Amino acid sequence: MNSIGTILIHNRKIQVVFRFILGITFMAASFHKISDPGQFAQIIYGYGLFPENLINLIAIFVPFFEFFCGLLLIMGIWKGGACLIINIMLVGFIAAISINLIRGYEFDCGCFPGSSSSRYFNTITLLFRDIFLLCLGFSVLISDIQKKTR
Amino acid sequence: MKSVFGKITQEACIVSIISIVFGLLVNHFSPAGIALVGSWDKTEGVISANERNGVVVHEREIQNVDAVKKIYDQGNTLFLDARISEQYEEGHIHGSISLPVRQFDELIDTLFEKYPSSTPIITYCTGRECRDSHELAQLLLDAGYENVKVFSDGYPAWEKKEYPIE
Repeated sequence: MNSIGTILIHNRKIQVVFRFILGITFMAASFHKISDPGQFAQIIYGYGLFPENLINLIAIFVPFFEFFCGLLLIMGIWKGGACLIINIMLVGFIAAISINLIRGYEFDCGCFPGSSSSRYFNTITLLFRDIFLLCLGFSVLISDIQKKTR
Repeated sequence: MKSVFGKITQEACIVSIISIVFGLLVNHFSPAGIALVGSWDKTEGVISANERNGVVVHEREIQNVDAVKKIYDQGNTLFLDARISEQYEEGHIHGSISLPVRQFDELIDTLFEKYPSSTPIITYCTGRECRDSHELAQLLLDAGYENVKVFSDGYPAWEKKEYPIE
């Protein structure tokens, strides 16, 4: 298991694939939120977790964090910083989804246009997808740290 | 090692600043931009992000179910259900007409044939987390109807009060 992890982190081609998966996913997820922040704010409200004063600010800023971090990962510039932000966001998404799953709260994740996770199955799928992306994110971050320490 | 983490943190800070600046600029100039603070308090009426092109106008709302019932009892106001037709079929305010927001363009002509622009109208949907009633109200006003109000609490509150449904 350890050797698989080492191969994944040290293999340049695999790291490029990981960066592209993360970058394309986050950029694609940002477009509809940027074009309709009001709708995204309504979705954030639907999570039932955030203070009312912060909902609009989250709706304004998060899509641009997604867009620029995704873009930088694809371009291979400031990979460490971009990936650190993506990992923090993913931890936040996973925590928000988990809390609502535990308390049986129905919500729309708002991840992609037309996506809806009102059903239990979709929420679980969403959770596993974000955990998968977080694994990729950690791999890219560790790879970048190792490269910089050499 | 310490300098590596410092460098990554520095990169993250620069990316954050760029994202925040672009977020503020795009939101400021976009026609779909929103206020920095929204109206998320349901006691004030239907919630909204306070969009620049937003349709939620609290002044149009009637927030008291009993006040709506009094208007209903007078019998001269048309009640329009903004929810999707499936929800309307499951139950609606007695005598109300289904006019889902997404089907507005195909149904508005029929409405105009039956009800003149001076007809008092109340729109409703599923309550204070639903904006369809406001969207419908705005579309009706744009189409020429002069007296359009929104029933904030919508069908669930009406049903809870055991007022006439069908």
